[in-house]
Amino acid sequence: MPYSSDKTANSSTAQADRQHLTDHQVTSMVPHGTAGQPVLHADKLSKEVTSGERSLTILHDLSLSVAAGESVAILGKSGAGKSTLLGLLAGLDTPSDGELTLFGQALSRLDEDGRAALRAGRVGFVFQNFQLLPTLSALENVMLPLELSPRAGETQTAVQWLTRVGLGERVEHLPKQLSGGEQQRVAVARAFVTDPELVFADEPTGNLDPDTGAQIIDLLFTLNREAGTTLILVTHDHALAHRCDRCLRLDHGRLEPFVPASAISEEGTQ
Amino acid sequence: MSDVNWRLAMRSLKRDLRAADVRALFVALVLAVAASTMIAFFLDRLERGLERQAGQMLGGDLVLEQRDPFSDELRANLEDAGFTLSDQVDLVSMISRGDQFQPASLKAVDDVYPHYGVSHVDFGNGTEQIASGPPPGEAWADPRLVQLIEIELGDRVQVGQTELTVTGIVEREADQSGGFGNFNPRLMLNTTDLEATGLVQQGSRVEFEILAAGSPAALDQVQGLLAELRRDGVEVRDVRVDRPQLGNALERAESYLGLAGLAAVLLAGVAVAMSTRRYVERHLDTAALLRCFGASQRQLVTIFSLQLLGLALVAAVIGALLGLVGQAILLWLLVSFLPMTLPPPGLMPLGLGVFTALAVLVGFAGPTLLRIKQVSALKVLRRELDPLPPSAWLVVGVASTVFGGLLWLYSGSLPLAIALLIGGALLLGLLWLISAFLLSALLKGVQRLSGSSEWSQALRLGGRQLARRRQAGLGQLLAFSVTFFAMAMIVLVRGDLLSTWQDQLPDNTPNYFAINIQPSERDPFEAAISPRVDTQSTLYPMVRGRVIAINDQSPQDAVPPDARGDNSLRRELNLTWQSDLPEGNAVVAGAWFSAVEVEGNTEPGQGWMSAVEATPQAVPVPISMEDGLASRLGLGIGDEMTFSIGSDEIVTQITSLRSLNWDSFQPNFFVIFPPGVLEQFGHSYITAFHLPETDEGLIRELITDFPGVSLLNVDAILGQVRDVLTQVTRAVELVLALVLLAGISVLYAALTASRPVRAHESGLLRVFGAGTRMISRVQGAEYALLGFASGLMGAVLAELATGALYIYWLDLTPRFHLGLWVFLPLGGALLIGVIGHALSRGLRRQAPAASLGLLGEA
Repeated sequence: MPYSSDKTANSSTAQADRQHLTDHQVTSMVPHGTAGQPVLHADKLSKEVTSGERSLTILHDLSLSVAAGESVAILGKSGAGKSTLLGLLAGLDTPSDGELTLFGQALSRLDEDGRAALRAGRVGFVFQNFQLLPTLSALENVMLPLELSPRAGETQTAVQWLTRVGLGERVEHLPKQLSGGEQQRVAVARAFVTDPELVFADEPTGNLDPDTGAQIIDLLFTLNREAGTTLILVTHDHALAHRCDRCLRLDHGRLEPFVPASAISEEGTQ
Repeated sequence: MSDVNWRLAMRSLKRDLRAADVRALFVALVLAVAASTMIAFFLDRLERGLERQAGQMLGGDLVLEQRDPFSDELRANLEDAGFTLSDQVDLVSMISRGDQFQPASLKAVDDVYPHYGVSHVDFGNGTEQIASGPPPGEAWADPRLVQLIEIELGDRVQVGQTELTVTGIVEREADQSGGFGNFNPRLMLNTTDLEATGLVQQGSRVEFEILAAGSPAALDQVQGLLAELRRDGVEVRDVRVDRPQLGNALERAESYLGLAGLAAVLLAGVAVAMSTRRYVERHLDTAALLRCFGASQRQLVTIFSLQLLGLALVAAVIGALLGLVGQAILLWLLVSFLPMTLPPPGLMPLGLGVFTALAVLVGFAGPTLLRIKQVSALKVLRRELDPLPPSAWLVVGVASTVFGGLLWLYSGSLPLAIALLIGGALLLGLLWLISAFLLSALLKGVQRLSGSSEWSQALRLGGRQLARRRQAGLGQLLAFSVTFFAMAMIVLVRGDLLSTWQDQLPDNTPNYFAINIQPSERDPFEAAISPRVDTQSTLYPMVRGRVIAINDQSPQDAVPPDARGDNSLRRELNLTWQSDLPEGNAVVAGAWFSAVEVEGNTEPGQGWMSAVEATPQAVPVPISMEDGLASRLGLGIGDEMTFSIGSDEIVTQITSLRSLNWDSFQPNFFVIFPPGVLEQFGHSYITAFHLPETDEGLIRELITDFPGVSLLNVDAILGQVRDVLTQVTRAVELVLALVLLAGISVLYAALTASRPVRAHESGLLRVFGAGTRMISRVQGAEYALLGFASGLMGAVLAELATGALYIYWLDLTPRFHLGLWVFLPLGGALLIGVIGHALSRGLRRQAPAASLGLLGEA
């Protein structure tokens, strides 16, 4: 079951959000992070793919700037190109046109390995399907990014992070011995373990039931706030998007500011 | 960074040991090393052991012989090279007991004798094995001498000017030096008694021998010295070149064992390739994640290469230890068949084994591993973004090249390796096409199966499953075909090799030679033996002649320097005449006498024969020469050779070269004349026959009725050659078992690797309502179809390859193997069906959710 039904997800997460909103003041729904140097800046990005003789434009003249510490939600329907955009923003893929600057470096000037080196230790990821390696224990999965940029006390750091996400007792468990929610917790710990400046989350609750999803989101936002990390979150869940500093909607290859329905209803009830 | 890579590689290797494919890869590598080191260890020891046994027959690893005593300087040189020396003197003299006289071949040995083996001597209390010669003052006689002059143990015999006490009867000498050349009965004595006999004097016909025992390295070291000695006319016998009756069987056995070793390596290679494919597929996600976390392409390749390298090194150590233990077990099993003690294992095979493991890893896993480099980080978001598998041609090409290199290393022949490689590549291409055709034909056939029985339904479903994964199915078909091919070839070659050996020395191989049969005794002798022996060769007339000139030069000047000491130039040759080519001989150059037209020919169609009869000595007499001797002496068709026979000289010209089988235990001749030339000289006849054990009485009768005829029993030599063949046969059978085991483990590895996919399928079938029995039959049918097709392909390959091998490598006549075409497809269906079925048993019991989940982990 790859996706939970939108309606169910919305209604349940809305409930969770409500509770969450009482805890955390949402500062703004519009762009605000222009004060510091942007962590990420996209200028007129386009992405075309060709299939046989047909060419399909997925993203068109798309611009975006994300400031340090900001959390940005990118909403869009299934197939709108959200994951493609995330891939481009994280430097996992190259645009057909336009320029992307990550941590002040133009990605077009870097080759595949250069882009990988730029990500090392500075970018964290949370995926819809968790992407845990099945033969590695929870601890080993969390340690994986640390091992690429080694530092003292890797194991200790990884255990600390697993404890923070509530899995301190299950560090030696293999993914298949953990529930979906627990697996995603491991993935969240893995995303934050290197103290990254930027975390990308791709439908982090997509494979989870609403309650578990809500817990994961709480965890994600709490850790993000505590670590002061920049968060770019791709989702089709309005309630989840609502909890970000800024919401954008991807529609027909373009990105536009968006106020999620859940936020409007939230404001309406207040 | 390299430290990071190493650490990362080792950590992930540690974790990876939990994964089935890594275990399969590990097992395949261990197997490759174990098989290759075990065979290499065993071969190395067996080879050295057999060489030692050949040395035993020869009397030493190196035997020097000349008419004069050897210099102290030569002895010092040999001893410096690491040889232990033993002196022996051979001469023919009349010995007597009372009034009975008999010419005997005296063999005087020193206290070092024998270097190898034991003599079987009867001291009056049955036969004992003893590793020494007679002490001073004593002599040992052979049974023939005992019979001829009626010796009793304890009798004194007169030898020259001294008397010796006969204390033993030698049933079998530790060495067989002397061989057929010496037809007189034997008396063995101690060298210290030789002087007292007064027989060794200036001008007497005495052969002085140095028997030297030493390592192959010592032999290599003195090759220069030996060449010099040959030029000086010393007869040099080297354990590695002498004794052709051991040579042929041994060479073939070594070729075979080497071939079996290669087959095991090839099989393990196939297993490595299959496991690596799965390993890489499973690690694509890891690679993509690492890319995501910032690893470079190079770093990825380094990490995974280091991981596999680490795995290979551990596998190599374990495999080598297993190989060492394995060969020890092999020897322990063989100990009753081995009449010799094998030298301890050397280090070389260990190195070879580890090298083989690494080569197999690089060759069979390399291109597949490079696929990891191509992984896009984007795969973390889009799972379907797998890099393309490496081209099948690249994988096969690299594996073939590495395997070709190993072929070269093992066979020592580059042209052979290249030929096999090119042949193999062409064959593989052809195989791919035939496999594709065969698979579709088979599947079509299966789909046409009518009937609603569970079995035909299972066959249809199984066939469809196979058809759905056409590429994977083809890959497995190829792998299994190669496996069956390698296994079948080793079985076939073994069978043909053994039967060739059996043919070579059948039960009725002559065990007696009769010589010195006078022309007047010829017919009565033949009449006496014919009704009572199993087989009997032609009675060949024999004239002794010495080569005195070659192409009008002295023989020593006309032949290559290395051949100056050749026996054929130093001694009288046994010459015969025949109008027909003797059985077992084949003309390899020129033409047999009857087929050559010459001037002076009086009767057309009679060739040289009538020419010789018409005008003896008007033209050089045509002769036919054994091709080995001709090549040693550097002679060919048209070369002239002058023989001194009695007081005459005969000029001859080589008109044909013959190949013949020296292992046949039949009278063989280096030089054959046409009829009409040698009849004028004094001659006697020689023949060989097989006397059944039950009729030993004939020998007594022959000795009485034909006192002048010498009878030579070659049972001992025949027995020794048979011993060698028996033990080599045992080794061949054990190695065969090993190859079969390797083959089965490949099947196991391949089927294990394809488990997740099959688990997924059986899960789906179960979701759709199929019961355990149905799933079991569908899977069984799929495996059996795969096995049947692979067996058929294996048969095609094996038949073609064995044909080529026989012609170009093993020197056997190719034959068609009908059984192969029946048993391999059926056996394949059964084997793959049973192993596959057994392996899937656990899967069938799983709930669908679990089996479907298993694929998700892939």
